[in-house]
Amino acid sequence: TMEPLKVHIQFGGGAELLFDKIKRREVELPALKKYYPDCKHEKWLIKDLLVWIKDNLLKERPELFLQGDSVRPGILVLINDADWELYGELDYELQQNDTIMFISTLHGG
Amino acid sequence: MDDIDRLEKEILVLRETLRRKEKEIFEIKKEFMPKLPSKVEKEIVNQNECAKNVVKISEKLPKWAIERYSRQILLPEIGVKGQEKLMGAKVLVVGAGGLGCPAAVYLAGAGVGEIGIVDYDQVDLTNIHRQILHSEADQNVSKAQSAADSLRSINSKIKLTPYNIELNPSNALEISANYDVILDCTDNVPTRYMLNDVSVLNKMPLISGSALKMEGQLTIYGYRAKTNQNDKGYKYIGPCYRCVFPTPPPPEAVGSCSADGVAGPIPGVIGTLQALETIKLIVGQTHDNLLVGRLLLFDGEDMSFRNVKLRPRNPECEICSESPKITKLLNYEVVCRMQSKEKDLDLDILPPKNRITAMKLAEALKATNKHLLVDVRSEHEFEMCKLDGAVNYPLEKLHRSNIDLLLKDIRDCCCRVTFICRRGNDSQIAVKRVLDVIEDEYKDKITDLTGGLHAWSKYVDGEFPVY
Repeated sequence: TMEPLKVHIQFGGGAELLFDKIKRREVELPALKKYYPDCKHEKWLIKDLLVWIKDNLLKERPELFLQGDSVRPGILVLINDADWELYGELDYELQQNDTIMFISTLHGG
Repeated sequence: MDDIDRLEKEILVLRETLRRKEKEIFEIKKEFMPKLPSKVEKEIVNQNECAKNVVKISEKLPKWAIERYSRQILLPEIGVKGQEKLMGAKVLVVGAGGLGCPAAVYLAGAGVGEIGIVDYDQVDLTNIHRQILHSEADQNVSKAQSAADSLRSINSKIKLTPYNIELNPSNALEISANYDVILDCTDNVPTRYMLNDVSVLNKMPLISGSALKMEGQLTIYGYRAKTNQNDKGYKYIGPCYRCVFPTPPPPEAVGSCSADGVAGPIPGVIGTLQALETIKLIVGQTHDNLLVGRLLLFDGEDMSFRNVKLRPRNPECEICSESPKITKLLNYEVVCRMQSKEKDLDLDILPPKNRITAMKLAEALKATNKHLLVDVRSEHEFEMCKLDGAVNYPLEKLHRSNIDLLLKDIRDCCCRVTFICRRGNDSQIAVKRVLDVIEDEYKDKITDLTGGLHAWSKYVDGEFPVY
């Protein structure tokens, strides 16, 4: 399966500020082995996507988005409108046309 | 002008008199009000009534209540039973701001028997675009008091308790124990973690709303099916805030209405929906109909409402699990590494030689037009108001690559350089960043305006807007 993987990436709650204030993006991911030749697995997992986002979309201050190999505290990751914890978090395998949202929690009132 | 001053003063006095008289009449009326039994009293009342063989008042609404609340009693979702529950319910609204005001308006209107409203702050003119219980005449009045006064004019039949204090770990459990539900209408991270822990320790649901800029979020934490006789999932407990967000965010990632702005109707929408969820919860809607285990995301920019599914309660949660690590309230400002009152933030990270007061800056600017003014506020704020001749280098963009241009400007400037921001905190951070990288020979000519543009307005130019 060499066809590119299309995923919708969305940012909200202020997380979009780290990504040129663009809230919705559609990206096409190349075959994983092509992008990360050293990678042990075949399919794109969310943890690979986080690295891809850091390399391709994140301009400044990666510490406001990532911490270690995951997202920073206070950012909720949603896979097709459901908390990523319900799908194995970092190890979830991306599917064609998935929508992955990164929502920063709000505290104002 | 004298006439205006005189009349304004007279109006203030009259308002105060009105406030006093309204309170007085409420206290007198209260004596004659048909007393609705609260949850605890209900059983005893019923027993007594059975003994006396009279009509059970608690199961029949008085005439005035049927008339007054008829439009919502007509709803099968509320009905007579629901109205009775509303009138016996006690709700604590924490924060009388953008969320608390609309939430409390609808709760008071719906006849919720007792509403407590907590806020330590006073009404400021910049609040009024969203904090709809406060009016121009309420400036500098306690928000809790102002809110309670407005609510009393909406519904004189309910009990209102303003708490003009800061809810903190030493008083939060005690105050909230007098209520059935807590509404989180606050504006900061430490208080949100505290209210969550209060909700879990006191076993009360927490209706949590938040709003910033053009977005809002809403969910219910700490829901317990056990306390709802209609809920068949007897043992079900919804997630708490810590289940979903076990670790507080880094302070630099947290925004606020005063720093980032907010459109008035955004907290209006979220606060209103907080009231709706509260009403549904009180009348006994079950958890699948409530925002339990779900989070509502509202984005006013494209008018999208999104309902996302949250993780379930964490069996290892630090506070709401069967064997919790946290068993009492903590020092949340320390835990979150953040202050709950942002207004108190008063950085002092520069040596005195790198600081300048507003008066001194004004003198320096009079003496020369070569003085370089570097305004580090956002482009938006810079557009709102600025000092003549200032250049804009927003702090948020002052990183590695962008700082070089600024360094060049500073090296080229034959005179002094002063950094400016709104309150005098960000300007210090910017100066610090520059001092860390610039050559020693330029260091002495760099200063930051102490107290920022607020100080400028106070000490130099009263015409400069304070926002």
